[in-house]
Amino acid sequence: MESAAVLAKEVRNWKELSEFSRHASELYTECGRSQPASDALAKGARALEDFAPEEAIQLYTDACDALEEDGKEQMAFDLYRAATSVYIKLEKYADAATFLLRLALAADKCNATHSQCKAYLSAIIVHLYAHDFQQAEKCYNDCCQVEAFLNSDQNRAASRLLSAYTEGDVEEIKRAAQSSIVSNLDHVIVKLARKLPTGDVSAFKMDTKDQEEPLDEDDLT
Amino acid sequence: MSVIDILFRVDSICKKYEKYDVEKQGSQNASSDDSFARLYGWFESQIEAVLHKSEMVAMETNRAAMVAMNAEVRRTKARLMDEVPKLQKLAQKRVKGLSMEELEVRKDLVLALPERIQAIPDGTAAKQAGVWEASTSHKNIKFDTDGQFDDDFFQKSEESNQFRQEYEMRKIKQDQGLDIISEGLDTLKNLAADMNEELDRQVPLIDEIDTKVDRATTELKNTNVRLKESIFKIRSSRNFCLDIILLCIILGIASYLYE
Repeated sequence: MESAAVLAKEVRNWKELSEFSRHASELYTECGRSQPASDALAKGARALEDFAPEEAIQLYTDACDALEEDGKEQMAFDLYRAATSVYIKLEKYADAATFLLRLALAADKCNATHSQCKAYLSAIIVHLYAHDFQQAEKCYNDCCQVEAFLNSDQNRAASRLLSAYTEGDVEEIKRAAQSSIVSNLDHVIVKLARKLPTGDVSAFKMDTKDQEEPLDEDDLT
Repeated sequence: MSVIDILFRVDSICKKYEKYDVEKQGSQNASSDDSFARLYGWFESQIEAVLHKSEMVAMETNRAAMVAMNAEVRRTKARLMDEVPKLQKLAQKRVKGLSMEELEVRKDLVLALPERIQAIPDGTAAKQAGVWEASTSHKNIKFDTDGQFDDDFFQKSEESNQFRQEYEMRKIKQDQGLDIISEGLDTLKNLAADMNEELDRQVPLIDEIDTKVDRATTELKNTNVRLKESIFKIRSSRNFCLDIILLCIILGIASYLYE
């Protein structure tokens, strides 16, 4: 089946390619071999990345599910990362961030704290790039619940970045984004980070001030 | 030339040629039997030596040499002070051929000795008599009680300003260096953590490989054994001789054909 998929790729027959890949993986799963199943799906997805990205994402997701069912999350990291890069190319940042959080969950199960923290930091950066500061803050607060993230360098970098955003200091944002910790992430994320800040940073400052005033009134009454 | 100059000159010349002064030597030798006189003479020579050294200290410009010589002077002075009681005891003793007056004189001399010893300058006395005028019971502790040295003070702070600047510059350079080091360490840490996770990922894979290879080796062993058995069966001795004979015949035919 896999050879059929390769041939379909050469013929550039996309639909058939995905069908062949799926069929191949199903056969593999029936034999109880999850790894080759996901590999087949991943190969198909990689071929489809440029031409039918949604289909590619679907294949990637199925591949990750297959691995997770079998308890082999370690292998899924690369797949998650590839899927996130496709999402970012499509500029679907919310989906990309969700995928990163799934990656972090998989890393947590394997006790791969370093990957987990990097995934969290990447998610926060993706939210910031999408100019969605509230989401980024929410994400940050969620991540701080996780002990492993709390004690890591990535946490410090994230807090630095967020505080730079609240202050609206463009220079500080640039410096935080160029720091070595951010440069250790996936290169797609690094590209996003370099492009920060997007849009008007001072808008964030106003937002936080508006939030504070109602609180003050509550305190007085 | 005045009389005073002549007197001084005569004194210095006499001092220089003392060793040729027979009378003086004689008087010194005469007191060799008298232990008090001997000891007193030793004292005198020691005091003279110490005085000479302290004079040299006053002329010395090298600080370290000054300090060393002062220390030596102090040591000698302490030793002399220790010896004074001995001299006092000797002074009490009555010696043959010595009049009462001379005994009294000796006692006075001994009493005067400690003062003379203490009076020798050894570098600390100058400070006590010096400009500070503070009630320093301890020689080494000085207090800035008077503002007489304001000018000196400011001069020193110019030097210390330079020093402080240099210190700041060095601190900044160190900070820069440390920043670079920290960046390198970040990269190293990242690499190491990624390697760690990669290895963790590969551990179960290698375990699988291990079991599969074990299985493969056992199968191979079995196959080898069986192969050996079958070869032995085929190559029993009878067949072997037949093979050799046939080979010889073929070789003979070949040589015959070629020749």
